[in-house]
Amino acid sequence: DCATSWGSVLYALPKVQCPNHPDAILVEDYRAGDMICPECGLVVGDRVIDVGSEWRTFTNEKATKDPSRVGDAQNPLLNGGDLTTMISKGTGAASFDEFGNSKYQNRRTMSSSDRAMLNAFKEISTMADRINLPRNIIDRTNNLFKQVYEQKSLKGRSNDAIASACLYIACRQEGVPRTFKEICAVSRISKKEIGRCFKLILKALETSVDLITTGDFMSRFCSNLGLPKHVQMAATFIARKAVELDLVPGRSPISVAAAAIYMASQASAEKKTQKEIGDIAGVADVTIRQSYRLIYPRAADLFPTDFKFDTPVDKLPQL
Amino acid sequence: MEPSNDVALDIIVTNVVSVFRTRCHLNLRTIGLEGNNVIYKPEVGKVLMKLRKPRITASIWSSGKIICTGATSEDEAKLGARRLARCLQKIGFKVRFSDFKVVNVLAVCSLPFQIRLIEFTKNNRPIASYEPELHPAATYRIKTLRSTVQVFSTGSITVTGPNVQSVASAVEQIYPLLFECQKTLV
Repeated sequence: DCATSWGSVLYALPKVQCPNHPDAILVEDYRAGDMICPECGLVVGDRVIDVGSEWRTFTNEKATKDPSRVGDAQNPLLNGGDLTTMISKGTGAASFDEFGNSKYQNRRTMSSSDRAMLNAFKEISTMADRINLPRNIIDRTNNLFKQVYEQKSLKGRSNDAIASACLYIACRQEGVPRTFKEICAVSRISKKEIGRCFKLILKALETSVDLITTGDFMSRFCSNLGLPKHVQMAATFIARKAVELDLVPGRSPISVAAAAIYMASQASAEKKTQKEIGDIAGVADVTIRQSYRLIYPRAADLFPTDFKFDTPVDKLPQL
Repeated sequence: MEPSNDVALDIIVTNVVSVFRTRCHLNLRTIGLEGNNVIYKPEVGKVLMKLRKPRITASIWSSGKIICTGATSEDEAKLGARRLARCLQKIGFKVRFSDFKVVNVLAVCSLPFQIRLIEFTKNNRPIASYEPELHPAATYRIKTLRSTVQVFSTGSITVTGPNVQSVASAVEQIYPLLFECQKTLV
């Protein structure tokens, strides 16, 4: 007996089943509109309504004429499920063009209470698009924003700041953290404000996030610098070893990662300057220098054992 | 291993912030002109008065509320506040010293060992928070004492709380947790 998900009245749907094989799960053939038993091939249900699309769309057809009568897929999880009607701009001549250019009145405000939220979703989408974030992170960000917005504990803060902080948290939660500076680059909000909102949101939602590690950023930084795979792996190893041996207490993992990349690149054929690495990682030149000075004495221990040195360890630059 | 409690930790109170009211409206311009050691900030609407004897800086508002910072102990804060009220009285205002309250006490303490912050944060998950990108210290908030402890990897900690007693208890409470995560020399 299956219960419907819609109404409040629960009744058992008439269940079609093959008379010979009542336990067999029927296969739906949507082209012909049949329900077929996989065991014996008997067509059990027929004239099933086709849920496919009404027409086929080709890419070279005029895209302006969209004959869809259903409209876009709604996002009921995030919107609060409103089914309002909007009046779009008329296209024909008879769209009430009373003298002057005033056409029919503007589309009505659809949901004033959630207008700010929709605006924020748009902002989140724009920000995420700038750094090419996948759909799952955007969805998570939207969910976080919705939770924070409904709680109203951070109501005074700028929505953009909250959106940026949600984006940061979502990236962290998905296991692919972005540095605050990277989020700053795509947002108009200052790092200080994003940091403040970040802490407030964690308190409001009563969640916590995992600590960032040096390895989280290696693949991104090294790809942006154009370093080959073995250099990236060496840098990851160096950074991890440096943190394990606690050679760099109190240093931000980003700075340690940058210094490790510098050391690995200087030991290989593709040498990158501190300025280039600092540019990509968002770390100051002198900060890389400081962290490098801390790991330099133990350089020989930090490299992986199978690393091919283009420049031997003793010839590494000493800053 | 039980941490030995006979190590005497020097908890140095560096700052005590207190507030009090003068119960009368104050003319900031008069204070700015006639008082000595004052800075008048009309854009914010307050006067800063610095005292030498207990080294204290006070923000004086025209409503009569005064915030006193820079004292090194609770008694000194009260003494300084009274002296400040006397200064204002000499200028000519009908000052009544009332509602004195110590609001915040900041203390620093230097532990004899270094600390592994990552391990410390992992062990005390929701209470401790560490964001190396934002601040190099791990913050540990004790709700019952309304105090916050900031732990640095060098072993120095700063504690802020509503009074000296809570600060002392906070250090007592956090010492065993820090002792576990100390960085023993290899």
